Amino acid sequence: MFRRSYHLALALLLVLILVASVTAGCAKKYPNKPITIIAPAGPGGGWDLTARSVSKVLADTKLVSVATTVENQAGGGGGVALANVVQNKKGDGYTLVVYSPPLILINLNGQSKFGYKDITPLARLTTDYQIIAVSAKSKYKTLKDVMDALKKDPKSLTVGGASAPGSMDHLSFMLAASKAGVNVKDVPYVSFPDGSQLMSNLISGKIDVASTGVGETLGQLEAKTVIGLAVTAPKRYTDPRLKDVPTLKESGIDVTFDVWRGIFGPPDMPADAKAYISKALENMVKSTNWKKDVLEKYNWIDAYLPGDQFKSFLDEQNKALGDLLKTLGLIK
Amino acid sequence: MAENLHLLMSGFAIVLQPLNFIWLTVGVVLGTMIGVLPGIGPISGVALLIPLTYNMNPVTALMTMSGLYYGAMYGGSTTSILLNVPGENSSVVTCLDGFQLAKKGRAGSALGISAIGSFVAGTIGVILLQFLAPPLGQWALAFGPAEYFSLMLLGLMSATTLNEGSASKGLMAVGLGLALGTIGIDLQTGTTRFTFGRLDLLDGIDFLVLALGLFSIAEVLWEATHREGAAERIKLNSPYPTWKDIKESAGAILRGSSLGFFLGVLPGVGASTASFVSYAVEKQISKNPDEFGKGALRGVAAPESANNGASEGALVSLLSLGLPGSGTTAVMLGALMMFGIQPGPMLIPKHPEIFWGIVASMYIGNVMLLILNLPLVPLFAKILDIPKQLLLPLIVVLSSIGVYALSNSRTDLEMMLFFGLCGILMRVYQIPTPPMILALVLGPMVEQSMRQALTISRGNWNTFVVHPISATLLVLALAFLLFPFLRRVAAQSRLKGVHRA
Repeated sequence: MFRRSYHLALALLLVLILVASVTAGCAKKYPNKPITIIAPAGPGGGWDLTARSVSKVLADTKLVSVATTVENQAGGGGGVALANVVQNKKGDGYTLVVYSPPLILINLNGQSKFGYKDITPLARLTTDYQIIAVSAKSKYKTLKDVMDALKKDPKSLTVGGASAPGSMDHLSFMLAASKAGVNVKDVPYVSFPDGSQLMSNLISGKIDVASTGVGETLGQLEAKTVIGLAVTAPKRYTDPRLKDVPTLKESGIDVTFDVWRGIFGPPDMPADAKAYISKALENMVKSTNWKKDVLEKYNWIDAYLPGDQFKSFLDEQNKALGDLLKTLGLIK
Repeated sequence: MAENLHLLMSGFAIVLQPLNFIWLTVGVVLGTMIGVLPGIGPISGVALLIPLTYNMNPVTALMTMSGLYYGAMYGGSTTSILLNVPGENSSVVTCLDGFQLAKKGRAGSALGISAIGSFVAGTIGVILLQFLAPPLGQWALAFGPAEYFSLMLLGLMSATTLNEGSASKGLMAVGLGLALGTIGIDLQTGTTRFTFGRLDLLDGIDFLVLALGLFSIAEVLWEATHREGAAERIKLNSPYPTWKDIKESAGAILRGSSLGFFLGVLPGVGASTASFVSYAVEKQISKNPDEFGKGALRGVAAPESANNGASEGALVSLLSLGLPGSGTTAVMLGALMMFGIQPGPMLIPKHPEIFWGIVASMYIGNVMLLILNLPLVPLFAKILDIPKQLLLPLIVVLSSIGVYALSNSRTDLEMMLFFGLCGILMRVYQIPTPPMILALVLGPMVEQSMRQALTISRGNWNTFVVHPISATLLVLALAFLLFPFLRRVAAQSRLKGVHRA
């Protein structure tokens, strides 16, 4: 009896040693299981497209040796996913998350107690810009017409966006308007739940001006139902649909508004994981797959920045957006 | 016209290529399955499909995706009817009469009629899409915030018809729903309301959470605590709808189909609103409105046709304007861009093969779905043979999966259980639950569009009556409110007439 259990114990010990050595061996080699890329919103938007594009290009180019899967974690303008990553994924090398300026905004306006400082910036990937557009039938033909009217009477026009006050569509327009000398606090702003309702209200003349992401308007610009008055980019787009749209600077308003998108890791991301993913992303943005299948198709502009430079960029953005929200009286 | 016919024929030629045909089959079969499973809706279904379509040509990909989309509308009614668990948002109303029919042993009729209704709506929808897509898209543009407000108010008025018994209790339910609808970020100011600092509440309460709680969980708790009838087995009268059933629901199917389609064209209105409104209309014009809620076949036929109609209506604004009218079509817009095709008003002129390929695939897909779904009816109806002690836990499992799949949130599960308990209380005190759900769906839309309209009009309330469409809708809303009352008056005077004679 004793003998048998002794043998059993010995066998168990052996198995244990084996298992331990195998897992130890594995632990050295990152990655050894699938990596999850979280899109902090539902399917279909910019975060989702970015997450899916990164996942696809990483698979096509085999830059990451394991599978990457996209998980949609919608809620609270990205705040739900942020809280999850900060609270539950600390030190996890297998979770990545995509973010853009709302990461900073939801923290500044108090919706989320977490912010960009709580997660690990790995790379800034792309930039998109905002556009100020009017209906083709509008009597306003240039940005100057719009700003002059608003300067005379801030309530003379209705501005629309596809997100609530204090978010990108609102801020990008108000930033330009305040630089032009408009009393922005009085400008009526209507927000619609999505880009298609915004566009249909613009085309039919229910609102006068729309401020939104460039991508929302491409189909309408192509059909000439909508005219772009200005983009918030530092220089004009080369795309045929956008090449005639001047920049804010050309219109005499010296500001830009970036809609950057980047990849982040959880807090305290292990050094090997951080190095591996950063390297993979650095190579990914150089690949033709990324340039052809992603940037060209979605009209995104390459804006690659490695982790540490991305971090200082975020510090600047945080300050600039904070100042703007204060000017607009949205935060104290 | 001849040219269109030619284009349609070339569309059929595209669909009938073996590979396209196989993918279309995959799309509609997956759609049916996703429709049957609660919670996993067409949005996540289409999103899951995207990686599979990377190497397809755009027409194949789009017809697979739209097949999944309208296929899901077929499957959605199954669990609503059999288990009182809505398979999709748009099948919540189907529970009201579908489940009652199943209890009476008429599950076969209900399931069959919803498959036939979906088929008719699908086919009417594709005919309208084929001939009217561009003009209808323009029509949708006429709807601004003022028109949306009046339309949603009309929808909310229809909530009163969902009510049985005491009017004050019905109003109480509407009030509760409206109150729940205010939770979350306010779109017009960006302020959070009634979230108690909880991130999970920022986007408000999803109405599937409320519907599954009030219907499914409450039903389980009720059955579990009321032992009488536990041993009773439901006898299935007939596995298929009879001719009488079909004749009875034909009108409802036609009305539901067209109403659903036109509402679906409007961005943001969607299949769930369409199903509620068409149900209310049916009840309103019915000779025996009292039958509704107790197992009226037309109460299944109308919403099930409407949600299918709406899913095809939503394709109108996507294809003719590049403006997706629903969450699922928004995902399809992303997919189009992935193929380097810019959705917008130029899509049909520049890529006619995509538009006509989809149109042709919808004719074929709807026939496939009917052939696929009718034989499944007796099979699904067998679920009712499962003994109660096994069926009730199964309902809890299905509902929980459905709610968890919404956004992987535990809070949603907790809320569902809470609403389940509320549902029991409401049942005890005879407060009707459907008006509460409809109010949660429509309340936020009424509020937001009213404030959008007032911002645009600089606070002038005239805006709701000077726009002709809005004014018409308001008159209809008033009529909706007064109709039951007028009918009662008319019935009374007729009765008096009889006495006098």
